[in-house]
Amino acid sequence: MTRRQRRLTMIGGSLLVLAIAAALVLNAMRDSIVFFSTPTMAAEKQIPPGKRFRLGGLVQPGSLMRGDNLAVNFSIADGSATLPVAYKGILPDLFREGQGVVAEGALDASGVFKADTVLAKHDETYMPKDVADALKKQGHWKDDYAKQGVAPSPVQGTLK
Amino acid sequence: MIAEAGHYALVLALGLALIQSTVPILGARWSDHALMNVARSTALAQLLFVGCSFTALTMLHVVSDFSVVNVFENSHSMKPLLYKITGVWGNHEGSMLLWVLILALFGGLVAAFGNNLPLSLRAHVLAVQGWIAAAFYLFILVTSNPFLRIATPPIEGRDLNPVLQDIGLAVHPPMLYLGYVGFSISFSFAVAALIEGRIDAAWARWVRPWTLMAWIFLTLGIAMGSYWAYYELGWGGWWFWDPVENASLMPWLAGTALLHSAVVMEKRNALKVWTILLSILTFSLSLLGTFLVRSGVLTSVHAFATDPARGVFILLILCLFIGGSLSLYAWRASTLKQGGLFAPISREGALVLNNLFLTTACATVFIGTLYPLGLEVLTGDKISVGAPFFNLTFGPLFVPLLLAVPFGPLLAWKRGDLFGAAQRLMAAGVTALVAVAVLWAWIHGGATLAPLAIGLAVFVIAGALTDLAERAGLFRVALASAIARARGFPRATWGTAFAHAGVGIALIGIVCETTWNSEYIGMMKPSDVANVAGYQLKLDDIAQRQGPNFREMIAQFTVSRDGETIQVMTPSKRNFTTRSSSTTEAALLTRGASQLYISLGDTNADGAIAVRIYHKPLVLLIWWGPVLMAFGGLLSLSDRRLRVGAPKPAKAARALQPAE
Amino acid sequence: MTLWFMFALMTVAAIFAVLWPLSRGSSAPAGGDEAAVYKDQLAEVERDAAAGLIGVAEAEAARVEIGRRLLATADGQRDRPSRANLGLRRASAIVALVGLPIAAVTFYLSLGSPRLGDFPLASRTRTADVNQPIENMVAQVEAHLEKNPADGRGWTVLAPVLARLGRYDDAVRAYRNVITYAGDSAERRSDLGEVLAGAAGGVVTAEAKAEFERAVAQNAEEPKANYFLGLAAEQDGRQADAAAIWRGMLAKAPADAPWRPLLQAALARVDETAAPAVSGDAMAAARDTNEDDRSAMIRAMVDRLATRLKQNGNDVEGWLRLVRAYMVMGERDKAVSALAEARQAVAGDAEHLRQLNEGLKKLGLDG
Repeated sequence: MTRRQRRLTMIGGSLLVLAIAAALVLNAMRDSIVFFSTPTMAAEKQIPPGKRFRLGGLVQPGSLMRGDNLAVNFSIADGSATLPVAYKGILPDLFREGQGVVAEGALDASGVFKADTVLAKHDETYMPKDVADALKKQGHWKDDYAKQGVAPSPVQGTLK
Repeated sequence: MIAEAGHYALVLALGLALIQSTVPILGARWSDHALMNVARSTALAQLLFVGCSFTALTMLHVVSDFSVVNVFENSHSMKPLLYKITGVWGNHEGSMLLWVLILALFGGLVAAFGNNLPLSLRAHVLAVQGWIAAAFYLFILVTSNPFLRIATPPIEGRDLNPVLQDIGLAVHPPMLYLGYVGFSISFSFAVAALIEGRIDAAWARWVRPWTLMAWIFLTLGIAMGSYWAYYELGWGGWWFWDPVENASLMPWLAGTALLHSAVVMEKRNALKVWTILLSILTFSLSLLGTFLVRSGVLTSVHAFATDPARGVFILLILCLFIGGSLSLYAWRASTLKQGGLFAPISREGALVLNNLFLTTACATVFIGTLYPLGLEVLTGDKISVGAPFFNLTFGPLFVPLLLAVPFGPLLAWKRGDLFGAAQRLMAAGVTALVAVAVLWAWIHGGATLAPLAIGLAVFVIAGALTDLAERAGLFRVALASAIARARGFPRATWGTAFAHAGVGIALIGIVCETTWNSEYIGMMKPSDVANVAGYQLKLDDIAQRQGPNFREMIAQFTVSRDGETIQVMTPSKRNFTTRSSSTTEAALLTRGASQLYISLGDTNADGAIAVRIYHKPLVLLIWWGPVLMAFGGLLSLSDRRLRVGAPKPAKAARALQPAE
Repeated sequence: MTLWFMFALMTVAAIFAVLWPLSRGSSAPAGGDEAAVYKDQLAEVERDAAAGLIGVAEAEAARVEIGRRLLATADGQRDRPSRANLGLRRASAIVALVGLPIAAVTFYLSLGSPRLGDFPLASRTRTADVNQPIENMVAQVEAHLEKNPADGRGWTVLAPVLARLGRYDDAVRAYRNVITYAGDSAERRSDLGEVLAGAAGGVVTAEAKAEFERAVAQNAEEPKANYFLGLAAEQDGRQADAAAIWRGMLAKAPADAPWRPLLQAALARVDETAAPAVSGDAMAAARDTNEDDRSAMIRAMVDRLATRLKQNGNDVEGWLRLVRAYMVMGERDKAVSALAEARQAVAGDAEHLRQLNEGLKKLGLDG
């Protein structure tokens, strides 16, 4: 092989690998990216049952109900709308009524959000950032949430 | 006085860095050795002054001098001494000071031990280090100064966050920083080569120990961080693909590619331009990692808004160094002479393949980490890119890479014999197939991918052993002479084998943990028994205990198997009075490389407690793998001899192995 | 002055680091070069070939290639012989001698606070502080009483100081010693009761109540004891009894009694809601303050109770009181979390758990 041919082989090989990688990335982007929304946005967009998304808002005070065998029901509210959430598993240490929370999962046929992951804020002053932004946008932001220092990453509680 | 002395020392270090970044380059331009040697003494003096500065800050934390804002905000007189010291780098300002200390340390090491470098190269390398250092000193002094004072000092500090008082959290950041900052040396060598306009095989040889050192620290740092998350966060995960972790993984992937391409350059004087680019990219990713994590921009774009001066400064530094070095590269790379030739199938070819896959994998992680940020800035849509994305992209890219790993060391330089290598790998391949078949039979179907993945891991490990056996001539010459030959191996050979085997071992751990992980989650009352993976865990008792600044609920489990008691495990849940926060302390029981893992949840009305129990088979291999890799790196680093790539003509290969 | 001396010393060291290599001039050690690396590589090939790690032909090819690199280095010698550039050297020296100190000091002065001395915690606790002398004195008295535990007068002096410092547990011990060594009296019994209540975060516990009853037995008119007995009734939910006790006291009290307004405030309260307990002294302090301050004080007391329970959770009564206080303050979520903690705290004891659950049912909080 001449020097030129060798080069072409290498460049061709590299392009092939890059093309495969790009295909993988695009494919994964289509399937595994999860959008964030609040109960209001979920109602507006009419998200179909079974489509995964992240739901963020405040845990409606008084809505937390514990069932048998670690089943938990609560509602997530954002000031104008609420959405019932069902979860089975151990809630994170920092889960509280009236505090910010992000749940990941999908709606079922009856309109209940079946969560398989619940993320709670990390310390007394930290509000999940997605939730804070959404609340700010909707004008339900209370200033005392904003007294956050360094915002550490959220701790996860999940049920695989 | 301590605070002010530390402060002044830092200012002096800035002055010295500015001199170091200009005078030696002028000296090199006019070939005045005395001026070039200024780089050396200023680098050492810089280390001295930053060392003083860091020591001063540490002393301030130890004596709890709350007239210093940094101490007041991040310390408390009641903290145990150990955490007063580790608290120095547990905050933004202190961690940046640690960053420049490590930078100065590496600069000092080059100055002290770089006697084998040509004067002008050393002068240029240290000058580039001086630029980086000057930018960071300025950043610290202007926007994140740890020595600012309060005129009327408060009586007590603000922080006694018990959650952060953890030894894992204390050791892990310095390790990562040693890795991140270590890559600044290869960056400086690359920029120096671009400025000088010459680069050759010797350059790669000079850079290698520094890259290797940084890589070892980064490997250990990542593994340590992962283990910390595993035992501290309380639900048994060890890698979350969260942006902070990705930020450390990206430089590791690029750095691993750099290690391999530098070998080609050292042996064959090829891939020079690519190696330079990789050096620049690796350090750029390190910078990105440090800063994106530090500035909080990855968790929130709005973090910039909380301290605009800091954010803008960070952006400036990133643009200056990444943009500047890449422009320099675009401008000067074409002037570098092309090096040695090689066929696509050869040791070089294999290493190119390695680089290709590693950098592509790095790119996918980069996209997955930064795409949500970009999308939010552009459209305002919020998305999260989680584990599924990375599993779908990163995984498929690593499979061909791992398949190719055993072939690399067996191929000859310049022109390799793929068929011959495949023949020699026959034994390894058969071992892997047997492993797949046995596993398949054992688990009766079930997960199809898992046995295949383990087969791949076995292939990598066996391949590493094959390489050693081939070199020693095992089974071809007498055992004694094979051992003698093995003794004569350069240490780097052993290092390569260990590091490659480490990858396989980590893979086995990952596959076993994710596939055969069994768990029990439920409410338990005293004297309830949970059955997990053949173990019986009986909840004996729930007790309360008073700690120094927390109240603890301890559950006691007796673990038994087949009626035989093994051990008592005591997971607990702590409530911290001062911060009204709680932490979960998981209990771990190690059996070989497998672990039982218990963590506690809430108690309900009838006194039952939520319990999570996991059995994680071979989970420890996940961290033994990286440790083995780092050990391989260390062996290689201790190899003082210089290796050469002997171009092997196709005929000679056969002449060498008469037995085949 | 020492600070500036130190600065000067450091500056001199920094200047020296720049000037030293300049002064050495051409006698400076030369660096290594590529040739050394390639010669090393050649030697390595020889070693490998001798050990049989590589074949003869490949060793020869490697030698040729390395030899070519070695020749190339001879062409382009990297380090040209040193040519002293005196102008540049002088300029660098001037920068180091003049520029460095001026720039460093100017920059430092714009950021640093050279007039501020050290404030390590150790030296600050030794020197004068507004709170310090009292605590030192207390420590001295305590040391003295350690040696002479039967000194009734000493305990009499110490006990109220401890109570004022908020060291209620020690104050309880001190008042017990006062009664033992300096004689029993209605005032001392009611003081003891008060600090017992203080130690319980403002809750009149059964133990405290017993002390007040003993005080009243000795002197039925003892105002503090009567006040606290009323408080105990209020805390038990017997509002009418509390009101009766306090009304009786008001009727008998002299017109200029300093605690009259306190009683009136307490009376006004029983008719409304059952606020958390407030000790006499603290209430007197609250007399003139406005509503905001008062609720802040109540909150502080509730917090103290919460803290105490977190440290010692085996107190069902206390937990119930805390939950009730949160409910009254309209903080339902805190009440719920306190409840969860309570369950955790008493989970080990079936009897306590039952009591807790029953009490919670009464509060209408059942989860």
